[in-house]
Amino acid sequence: MGYTNVRYYVGGMTDWGESGAPVERVEAPLTAAQATRNLQPISARRVSWANCLDILANWPLERLVGFWLGIIIVFGFVYWAAGIGMGWGLQAGNTTVKPDFNGLGTAIYFSFVTALSIGYGDVIPLGPLRILAVMEGIAGLLIFGCVISKLVSHRQEELVEEIHRTTFEDRLDRVRTNLHLVLSDLETIDQINREHSALPSHVLKRLESSERVFTGELKTIHDLLYRTRLLPEEDALESLLANLTLCLAALIDLLNSQTQRSAGLNADLKTISNLANEICGECVPRTHAPASKQWMDQIQELAKKLA
Amino acid sequence: MKQTAPHMKTSGHKQTISREEILSRLQDPAFALVNVMPKETFEAGHIPHSINLPLGEIEATARQVFPVLTREIAVYCMGST
Repeated sequence: MGYTNVRYYVGGMTDWGESGAPVERVEAPLTAAQATRNLQPISARRVSWANCLDILANWPLERLVGFWLGIIIVFGFVYWAAGIGMGWGLQAGNTTVKPDFNGLGTAIYFSFVTALSIGYGDVIPLGPLRILAVMEGIAGLLIFGCVISKLVSHRQEELVEEIHRTTFEDRLDRVRTNLHLVLSDLETIDQINREHSALPSHVLKRLESSERVFTGELKTIHDLLYRTRLLPEEDALESLLANLTLCLAALIDLLNSQTQRSAGLNADLKTISNLANEICGECVPRTHAPASKQWMDQIQELAKKLA
Repeated sequence: MKQTAPHMKTSGHKQTISREEILSRLQDPAFALVNVMPKETFEAGHIPHSINLPLGEIEATARQVFPVLTREIAVYCMGST
């Protein structure tokens, strides 16, 4: 390209990151609500019920269940202790619950019944304990609601993950099938090209169509290698890369012996060249098996020929 | 890297730059640091003050970004793993 003062940092981002040197990231822009909230000093942020519920909803399920059980046990002890010190206590039927071990069991049982809003009525609180029981009922229901919603959303997340995985596998199957079709199309067109001095217009259109399909599938594989959230097994990836290499090689062979090219075909070829040029063993963010890396390097070499 | 920046080759052999030199010259306006990875990878993490010129676009954009051919440029990508 004519530049005379270019040097290469061979270690690249891998070496840079491992050395602990600063790395800059492009953060996703904050939403308006997040930005406004972050601008407020902590003291000015209102501690509301909604905030508390948000905090609870963000807790992991185990902690939430533990907190809920903890509240019930603590309230149970309070009901029991109130019977010893204050003389209010609980009443079961016509008798006051005694401040002994059995009484502690009854107090915890009452606490569970209250927290779940069951309200059998076999044990009732006396005096100011009634206010405490109402408070426990409200707190218990809210936290239990969070536990239930967590369980439901956990199941939903599993289902969504399953749907993503199935869609991903279907997509890979489609890519593989399409690459096979493109390859057989290119071979057929190459044969026609050898039999005729110039390609008939309908065959030229078929070539364009195959080109377009190939560009789309190349883009998919390119995205697959650079967005690493979901990745196929190494064997499956290797077979995709092998198919891609074969298609690219067949395309180059065909183009070497065929000079008729429409504007659309040329535009697609440029896209193919650019995308394939970015598929190389050392460029992709994740380390792959040597066999996959070799295919990637071959694809990049072929891209140079196409350019 | 050896295979990732073929467009920037100046001759048969390639000159390299060390991490220490890059670190010491991050603030140097005469020194340009070019990341040739795709945009998504660049956004996920890059050396501060780098410019992103993805390999596929480098032919078309390099002359616009660096019109002076003698400009001191350091090129990097993901590197050997």
